[in-house]
Amino acid sequence: MFRLLKRKLLQRTSDHKDEAKAGNDYAHIKLDIKLDDNLNRIRNILGESNDVIIREMKIGRNSNIDAAIVYIDGLVDRNLINHDILQPLMFNLPLIRDNVNQKHASLIEFFKSTVLTVGQITESEDMVTIISDVLSGNIAILAEDTAEALLIDAKGWEKRGIEEPGNEVSVRGPKESFTETLRTNTALLRRKIKDPRLTFQNLQIGERTKTFVTVVYIKGITQENLITEINQRLKRINTDAILDVGYIEQYIEDAPQSLFPTVGISERPDVTAAKLLEGRVAILVDGSPMALTMPFLFLEGFQNPDDYYTRPFFATMIRWVRLLGFLLSIYLPGLFVSLSAFHPELFPTELLVSVAAAREGIPFPVVLEALLMLLLFEILREAGLRLPRPLGQAVSIVGALVIGQAAVSAGLVGAPMVIVVATTAITSFLVVSYADTGVLFRLLMVIVSGFLGLFGMVLFSLEILSHLVSLRSLGVSYLSPLVPIDFKSFKDTFIRAPLWAMDNRPESLAPLDKKRQAPNLMPRASKSSQTGREKP
Amino acid sequence: MKRKVKAKIYLTILLILITICLAGCWDSLELNKRSIVSGLGWDLDPKTGEVTFTVQSIVPGGGQSSSNISGQQQGGSQTRSIQVDKDTGPGMYDAITRLTQHVSRFPFYPHTKVYIFGKEGAQYGIYQFFDVQARNPDSRPNALIVVSAEKKASDIMNIPDGLEKIQAFGMAAEINLSAQYSKYPAVTVFDFQKRIMSKTTAPIAPIVGIAKEIGSEGREIKKLRVAGTAVFKGDKMIGELNERESSGLLWAINKVKIGFITVPEADLEVVKAKSKIIPELQGDKIKITVEISEDSDLVLFKRRQDITVGVVRELEKDLEKEIKNQVMASVEKSFALDADIFGFGEAVHRKYKKEWKELQPKWDDIYPQIEVEVKVDAHLKKIGDIYKAL
Repeated sequence: MFRLLKRKLLQRTSDHKDEAKAGNDYAHIKLDIKLDDNLNRIRNILGESNDVIIREMKIGRNSNIDAAIVYIDGLVDRNLINHDILQPLMFNLPLIRDNVNQKHASLIEFFKSTVLTVGQITESEDMVTIISDVLSGNIAILAEDTAEALLIDAKGWEKRGIEEPGNEVSVRGPKESFTETLRTNTALLRRKIKDPRLTFQNLQIGERTKTFVTVVYIKGITQENLITEINQRLKRINTDAILDVGYIEQYIEDAPQSLFPTVGISERPDVTAAKLLEGRVAILVDGSPMALTMPFLFLEGFQNPDDYYTRPFFATMIRWVRLLGFLLSIYLPGLFVSLSAFHPELFPTELLVSVAAAREGIPFPVVLEALLMLLLFEILREAGLRLPRPLGQAVSIVGALVIGQAAVSAGLVGAPMVIVVATTAITSFLVVSYADTGVLFRLLMVIVSGFLGLFGMVLFSLEILSHLVSLRSLGVSYLSPLVPIDFKSFKDTFIRAPLWAMDNRPESLAPLDKKRQAPNLMPRASKSSQTGREKP
Repeated sequence: MKRKVKAKIYLTILLILITICLAGCWDSLELNKRSIVSGLGWDLDPKTGEVTFTVQSIVPGGGQSSSNISGQQQGGSQTRSIQVDKDTGPGMYDAITRLTQHVSRFPFYPHTKVYIFGKEGAQYGIYQFFDVQARNPDSRPNALIVVSAEKKASDIMNIPDGLEKIQAFGMAAEINLSAQYSKYPAVTVFDFQKRIMSKTTAPIAPIVGIAKEIGSEGREIKKLRVAGTAVFKGDKMIGELNERESSGLLWAINKVKIGFITVPEADLEVVKAKSKIIPELQGDKIKITVEISEDSDLVLFKRRQDITVGVVRELEKDLEKEIKNQVMASVEKSFALDADIFGFGEAVHRKYKKEWKELQPKWDDIYPQIEVEVKVDAHLKKIGDIYKAL
């Protein structure tokens, strides 16, 4: 049977290879002088899809020049075609004196420089370029006796506007988030950083999807090694489809077998801009409303845009709360299991009395009880997430009230366990970056503590810690600035120092421009502005 | 490459197995299979040498109604909150293991709040209990030591107590409160061990007895009451201190925190107190000076008279005299019992290390001959909101 499977699999892969070849058979074709031949070829390649529009026309003073425009309906701006391409070509051209061959090298050159009233025009004779440009929303203009095509950027498809960020909510910060259109996203970043050194580097990845991927960095800040490394990793990707930024993440991350993410994800332009300014590299993917940032360090997960938009004291406190929440979300159920199954002596006596009272008559061991409740919570969460929004709320109510309440009163689960699971459920969302990681570690921690108690928890924690220490993100130690220790960079870790005190960019990213600001920026009243009582 | 990965996997499995074996205590036991012991009673029959263990366990979820009903005195729909079991055996562990024959769950000792000794057993000697207690990691050094005023420990373990649902917790709270008001000492296992390990100092422990009241329907109601201080010599109980003597003891050993003192014409609240034991060798005579400094507030002045500086001085003198008398009462009692409850021996030891080697073996003979001087420096700090009589 396995042999059969293997054979089938082999057959499949070979099929796939053949197909790939067939798709690319126009790789080296250049345009011909004959318009008809060119159009036929394009028809052959693009197939008979009815969204491919090939509009043939006769232009020139005597309507003696054959020409055609090729575009995909729906991807281009119709207004632009009508007013800026068809109108100049068909209506204005006859008005212009026919001196094509005298002043201009070619007809195409003449179109480009004199006739067409559009912004971005390129020329190409490569069939591959033409096809891929047309497929990504450009218009190709071909003419008789010309072995070149004009490619006009006329992208104008239906798109979502810029909306408020849904996942990374900020109280005081800007309320815009990335959208699915790459160009909009780059514009959002450019609007934040009007530095000529902000660089967008374009790539196209995906055999079939031909997805645009943009690497963003600031020249003069970002360490060049990081950029080359990212580019190398991106170029290695040889797949047929990139549908979301998550695809890229999984192809380029440092520790694909780790439960911890080594690539940062944000939907906020302000967060991405801040990371760029710290010396990180961002990756934008067309069709994805998220930006990747690398290197991603462990403590970045505990930072939040509001930390920097509010005054430092509360920001520091809330950062500690986040840290505590993260630890609670990982340890609390495991701790409860260990204490009640292995070490009841560690409970305060009065607490033990009530915990013991709640456990009375519960049929499962406490490990199973914990796993059951955690699993139930994950089920409810997933259901609430995936169901249509009105139904989702109903599920939450059923889950929280009916199941939670009923399970306790039916004596299946103890009330303390419900409290523990509910607490972890809430705290796990304090640190969004590690919400998924936290779930896995929480479950593992419960299992481990069910076997070995606190001893197991300590063992597992050490394992996690040693794993964290060994992680790298784009060559940068994952735990920096804690490991290797760098006290100078502590200003943005467990405390959030005032902005005027954070003079340097994070040392661990080895930024080319280390200084962020002038020293001694602590605000103080200037002497001339002291308008109070004057001394006698 | 593959071999490396395999080796890694084997190594990981091996490491996990080793750690599991190393863990030793493999004691996962669900809470509903344990019975949490709140108080432990220990009795020894002097005639037969048989040991009786009394275990007061918490009934999980018990005592839901407001009234404190315990043990056999169950009434109405109220659930009992504690369960008292006892069994007797020729030795300590015989008694413990026999308990399992009629107790459904494993007893769990770390949360035990009080260890109660029956008077009989305490007079016979309680060394073996402390040996077991000190060897066993399950027990806590901050549990309280109590001597039952009745013959057996179990006699007072069934008496409902105060506001607490769990009787042993109530007993512990009573002892702590009386110690806080400087009436009787609260002695933890740790304190007791320290004293028992010293060659000269005599261990002490509060005595808890039963106070009988006549209830509304002419029924007798039994209640717990701290009723004295037991004085041990070595591990044997040899006598008791009454309330006044207990107070005197606390004054001398610097255990007075707050409390009230009555002098003939006033009641005073102690707010701050400090004492120091200063030994002095005078030839072959030993003189101990107990220095006590004390601040107090006036809470009641019985004479209807304005308070003047003279009155304050007078009250301070009375106060000093009263404290001195209390301390001397306890000193005389300890001389009579020939038990060094104050730790005078250790004080001498600390100051005169060389001489102590000779003094220590004959300390029992020396002790009653010690000259004790009590110096009290009492201050009346506040006289309350009025300085004129009403």
